[in-house]
Amino acid sequence: MTTRIRIQQQDFDLAEEYQLLRQGHSTVGAVVTFSGLVRDFELSPEGSERIDSLNLQHYPGMTESLLKNIVEQANSRWDLIATTVIHRVGELLPMEQIVLVGVASEHRADAFEAAQFLMDYLKTQATFWKSVKGNGKHQWIESKASDQQAAARWDGVADE
Amino acid sequence: MINLLFFGRLGDFATQVPPTIEASTPAEIRQLLTADFPDLARELQQPQVLVSVNKMIVGWDQPLFDGSEVAFLPPVTGG
Repeated sequence: MTTRIRIQQQDFDLAEEYQLLRQGHSTVGAVVTFSGLVRDFELSPEGSERIDSLNLQHYPGMTESLLKNIVEQANSRWDLIATTVIHRVGELLPMEQIVLVGVASEHRADAFEAAQFLMDYLKTQATFWKSVKGNGKHQWIESKASDQQAAARWDGVADE
Repeated sequence: MINLLFFGRLGDFATQVPPTIEASTPAEIRQLLTADFPDLARELQQPQVLVSVNKMIVGWDQPLFDGSEVAFLPPVTGG
């Protein structure tokens, strides 16, 4: 399997990454990509608040090895031909891209499921931390129970 | 010496913490910080906070050696 993992400040080009996922492998029959974007609001206990910017911190060195491990787990569960994970760090503005997960496989079920698995595990295991600025305030984003539940659904799934 | 790192919201509580400390386990570090940094120590008691040594998640009783890098990790929020 071809694996590309990148953590970077700069933006990424979805079309370019899609081409990289499909090229060089004549057996690729399915490509699934997911991209996550910065919204211009954040839900807080007081309701929905507009934000000016989002900041992503990570643990250099550890994040890369955790992502590599997550991709390896996906590869052992599904038949994958190529996988790309790109996560941006630093200051991001509303509507900017944050994250890309792309999976190429022979058949669509592997690509769809692996892409979901990768995102679920990335959100709950990879060492990234978001904070937001808005209304003159700086605040760290709290982790969500719904993300933990999304990741937990893969626990009992037998390896193929 | 043990090198200390605090990520996410823990960093806001740790701005005055020295970058290195002498300790034999992460649990001991947490104990040593209690006197001077009670708010940080209280945050570190939260069960969701994980600790890593040299970029591997470990238990709080993991033995530390000279030069170990200990990081305190609140729940992650990437993606």
